[in-house]
Amino acid sequence: MSCTMAAPDAGSAGHAPPPAYRRAGAALAAEWIKLRSLRSMLLTPLLGAVAFIGLADLAVKNNAAGWAHLDVVQRARFDPLGINFNFVIIGILLFGVLGALVVTNEYGSGLIRTTLAATPQRGLVLAAKAVLAGLVAFALAVVIVFTAFFTGQGIFSGAHAPHVSLGDHNVLGHLVGTVYYMTAAALIGLFAGVLVRSAAAAITSMFGLLLVLPVLADKITPDAVTRHTVPYLPSNLGDEMLHHHQGLSPGAAVAGLAAWVLVLAGVAAFSLRGRDA
Amino acid sequence: MSAQAATVPSRGIRLDSRLRATARSEWIKFRSVRSGPFVLVATALIVVVGAWLLGDANRGSYLAASPAGKAAFDPVFTVLQGIELAQLFVGALGVITVTGEYASGLIRGTFVATPQRAQVLAIKALVFAVVVWACCTAMSFAAFFLGQSVLSPAKHAGIGDPGVLTAVFGGGLYLTLVGLLGMFIGVLVRRTPAALAALFGLLAVLPIVFIEIPGKITKNLGEYTPDAGEQAYQLVHSGAYALGPWQGLGVLAAYVAVAAVAAFAIILRRDA
Repeated sequence: MSCTMAAPDAGSAGHAPPPAYRRAGAALAAEWIKLRSLRSMLLTPLLGAVAFIGLADLAVKNNAAGWAHLDVVQRARFDPLGINFNFVIIGILLFGVLGALVVTNEYGSGLIRTTLAATPQRGLVLAAKAVLAGLVAFALAVVIVFTAFFTGQGIFSGAHAPHVSLGDHNVLGHLVGTVYYMTAAALIGLFAGVLVRSAAAAITSMFGLLLVLPVLADKITPDAVTRHTVPYLPSNLGDEMLHHHQGLSPGAAVAGLAAWVLVLAGVAAFSLRGRDA
Repeated sequence: MSAQAATVPSRGIRLDSRLRATARSEWIKFRSVRSGPFVLVATALIVVVGAWLLGDANRGSYLAASPAGKAAFDPVFTVLQGIELAQLFVGALGVITVTGEYASGLIRGTFVATPQRAQVLAIKALVFAVVVWACCTAMSFAAFFLGQSVLSPAKHAGIGDPGVLTAVFGGGLYLTLVGLLGMFIGVLVRRTPAALAALFGLLAVLPIVFIEIPGKITKNLGEYTPDAGEQAYQLVHSGAYALGPWQGLGVLAAYVAVAAVAAFAIILRRDA
C-alpha cells in the first residue's frame, strides 16, 4: 500500500512538480520515438523523394532534349526553374499526408490514450509533435528540393539548354520558399489530423483542400465571396508565393500560409484539450 | 454433439439462400459504417450545390465569351464538374468499406461465417455498387437539371439532346467505378492510408504527371489514365484519340477489372 502511494505522493506533495523544461524534454523524447518508429515515416518521404526528384528530372530531360527545336517565342518563354519544379504539388500532397499520418496512426492504434495518460498536458503533447514533425519535414524538404534543383539544372547545362544557378536572381528564394511551403503542408496535415482523427478523413481532406478545391474554385466566376477566399486556399498561396502572378505579394502569401498553420494549430489545440481520446 | 448435428445440413444449403445471407450481412455492414451516409450526403451536396455555383458562374462568362469559346462550351460538363471533388469522397468510401473491416478485425468474423471468400468479395462489391450507383445517378440528374436551369439563358442542354442522357448517366457510373476501384485497392493493401494514397495517386496525381512531362509517350498514354472515365460526363471530347463517353468509361473499367482480378486472387490466398 505504502509502496503504491509513495510515487504519487512524492510527485504531488513531497516535491515540487518537475520543471517545465524537463517535462518538455520528456514529451519531445516520447514523440521522437513514436515519430521515428512510424512506418510511413520511411515510406512516404521515400515516395516523395522519388516522385519529386524523379519526375522533375524526367521533365527536365524531355525539355532539354526539345530545346534545340523550339522557335524564338518558345525560347523566350523557356523557364528552367519552373520546369524543374513543376511537381511541387506532389511533394505538398505527400508532406500533407505524412503530417496527418503522424497523428491519425496514433488514434488508429489507440496509443493516443497512453500518450495522454502519461502526459496529461495535452497542449504540450501537441507542441512536441508539431515541433518534431516540422523539423523532420523541413530537413526532408531541404534534401529533396536541393537534390531536385542540382540534378535538374545539371541536366539542362549538360544539354546546353538555359539553366540557372543558386546565385541568380530569385533562385535561392524560390528554393527556400518551396521548402517553407512543404513544411507548412506537413504542419497543416498534422493539425488537420488532430481535428478529424481518422486517417481516411484526414487524407481525403488533404487531397481535397490542396489539390481539387483550387482547381474547381478556379472555374467559378470571381464574385465578392470567391475573390476574397479562393486566393487564400493553401495551395493558391503557395503558388502565388513561388510564381508571383497578380494580386497578393509573395510576402503576403508567406504570411497567409503561416496563418493557416497557426490558426489550425490553435483550433487543433482547443479540440485536443476538450475532447476525449 | 447437437451442435455438430446442426452444422451438417448446412452443407446442403442452396447457393441462392447462401448468397442472400451474404448480401444481407454485407448490407448491414455497409449501412452501419458511420462514415457511409455522411459520405453520400457530402457527395450529394458537393455535386448539386457545385452544379448551382458552376452554372451561375458560367452563365455570365458564356454571354461574354468569344464565338469560338461559345462553340466549345459544354453545358453538361460545366455543371457536373463537382464530380471531380466528389470522386475523392466516393473513392474513400470504397476504400474504407474494406480497410475498415480489416482495421476492426471484423473481416475474420466475416470469413469464419462465410469461408467462400470470393463470394464475400463479389457480394460486397455488388451491394456497394448498387447503393452508390443509385445515389450518384440520382445526384447526377439533380445536378444536371438544377445546373441547366441556372445556366439559361446561356447555352444549356435538354435531357433529350444528343449525348446528354448518356453524359448524365455517365456521371453516376463514373463515381461508381471510382468507388469500386477504391474497394479493390483496399483489398490489395488492406491499410486505409496506403489504399487512399494509391487511389488518389491514380486518380488525381497520375494525370498531372502525364500533362507536365512533354514527350511522345506521355502524350499517347496520357488519355488512358483512370481519369479517362471523366469523358463519360462530357459532350465535347478533345485530345489526340478523343475518347468518347463509353470508351472513357471502358478505360476506367479496365483499371477496375485489373484491380478486381488481383483482389480476388489475393483474398483467396492471404490470411485475414
